[in-house]
Amino acid sequence: MLSSRIFIALLAVFVYLQAPAVTAETESPTEQLKPTLEKLVDILSDPSLEGQENKKKRRDLIMSTISKRFDFREMSKRVLGPTWREISPEERDNFTAEMTKLLENNYIGQLENYSGETVEYVGERVREDRAQVSTLIESEGSQYPVHYIMNREDGKWMVYDINIEGVSLIRNYRAEFKSILRRQNYEGLIKTLEKKNASFEQS
Amino acid sequence: MLLLCFIAGPALAAEDSGGESQVDTPNLLDENYLEDDYEDSREELYAIEDIYDPLEPVNRVLFQFNDRLYFWVLKPVKTGYSYLLPAELRESLGNFFNNLSAPIRLINNLFQGRFEDAGVVLSRFLINSTVGVYGLADVALQEYNLEPRLADFGQTLGFYGLGEGPYIVWPVLGPSNIRHSAGLVGDHLASPVSYLHMTTDESVLYYSVNRVNNLSLSPGVYEEIKKFSLDPYVAARQSFFDFRRNVVQQATGEETDF
Repeated sequence: MLSSRIFIALLAVFVYLQAPAVTAETESPTEQLKPTLEKLVDILSDPSLEGQENKKKRRDLIMSTISKRFDFREMSKRVLGPTWREISPEERDNFTAEMTKLLENNYIGQLENYSGETVEYVGERVREDRAQVSTLIESEGSQYPVHYIMNREDGKWMVYDINIEGVSLIRNYRAEFKSILRRQNYEGLIKTLEKKNASFEQS
Repeated sequence: MLLLCFIAGPALAAEDSGGESQVDTPNLLDENYLEDDYEDSREELYAIEDIYDPLEPVNRVLFQFNDRLYFWVLKPVKTGYSYLLPAELRESLGNFFNNLSAPIRLINNLFQGRFEDAGVVLSRFLINSTVGVYGLADVALQEYNLEPRLADFGQTLGFYGLGEGPYIVWPVLGPSNIRHSAGLVGDHLASPVSYLHMTTDESVLYYSVNRVNNLSLSPGVYEEIKKFSLDPYVAARQSFFDFRRNVVQQATGEETDF
C-alpha cells in the first residue's frame, strides 16, 4: 500500500542520512589520516605550487590541510606541561598561537624537503580514545618509521604528536621548555619562543 | 628526519641506511609522558630531570665545541667532498664501510638471540662482498630484498638490562652515554678494521672519511635541530636518548597486545 511504501522510502532516507555519521564514528584512525597525508603529498608534488614565488600560497594550503587533522592546541598544552594550568586564558591563546607558528615552521620546513618519498601504512594501535598510526617513509633506498599519535575528539581522530624513529616531537619540545622554564620562568619562555618565530620571518 | 648524526664515531654498527623494516611497530601509546599529568603541582618542574645529566655544565661546553667543529670544519669539508664526488660514488663508499662493519652486527644479533637477523646479516655480507664487489653495491637489498639488521654493542648491553647511565657529550664524537660509549668500545673490538695494522694516520684517515661520507649522505640534521629548537643542547640530548631507547626496544621487542 502507498503508506507503507512512503514509510519504506522515509526509512531509506533516514538511513541514508545517518550513514555519514555512522561512517565517521567507525572510520579507523588510519582511514581518517590517510586523506590528509595524501593531500599533503599532492600539494608538495604540484608543479604549479613550486618555487619561492608560490611559497606563501603553498604554505597556506599546507597549513589549512594540516590544521584539520593536527590539534595544535592539544600539542601546545602538552608541550607546556603543568605550567599550562598556571597561565591566564589570554596567555594560553598567545602561547598556542606562537607554538602553532613554531610547529608550522618546523613541520612544513621539513615537508619542503619532500622529493617523491612514498608513504606506506604499516600498522595501527587503538586504545580507547588514543591511537597510533605507523607509517614507513621510503626515501633513497632507506626507510624511516614515522608514527602519528592521535586523540579521538567527537569521533574525529586528531594528531597530537609525531614520532620519528623513537624521537617524539612533543617530548622534545617539552624537554626544551622544561629546561627554559626552570631557568627563566614562563616570561622568559614566551619571549624566547617569540624571538624564534621572528627569526623564521626574516629567513 | 635523519637522526643518524647522533650515532658517532668509528666502529658504527649502524648503517646509515635506516632501520629494519618493521612488521611489529613499537607501542608508543603506553609511554606515560603522553598522559594528562595536570595533577602534578609545580614541584614537578623542579624534580629530577628525566634524563640523567649530572655533567650538564661540562657537556654544554663540549656541545658548543662540537657545534664550532661542525660549522668550521666538518660542514665545509662535507660540502667540498659532496661537490667533488657524485652521490652514487658516495653511496657506494657508504655501502663499503657498512659492509665492513657486518661482523659487529652479526655478533650483536647473536648475543641478543636474534638468530634470523644474524643469518640475514651474514647473507648480506656474503652477497655484497662477492656479487656486490667488496661491498660497494648493496646487491642483497636490491636483488634479494634483504634489509639491514642493525645491532650494536650498546644495544646488546641495553638488551641485557643495563641502564644508560649519565649523558655524555664527547668532543668530536658527539652525544653519548655510559652504556653507548661502552658499546662503541665493544664495537671497536668486534670490527675487523681494528685488527688491520694501520698506522695512526691511516686510522684517522679511515674514520674521518667514513664520518664525512656519512655526513654527506644525510641531509643537514644538525642544522635543522638548531633551526627548530629553542635549546639545541636539550633537543640533541632528548633526541639521542629517545633514539637509543628505541634502538634497545627494537631488540627487546614490543608488547603486541594492548
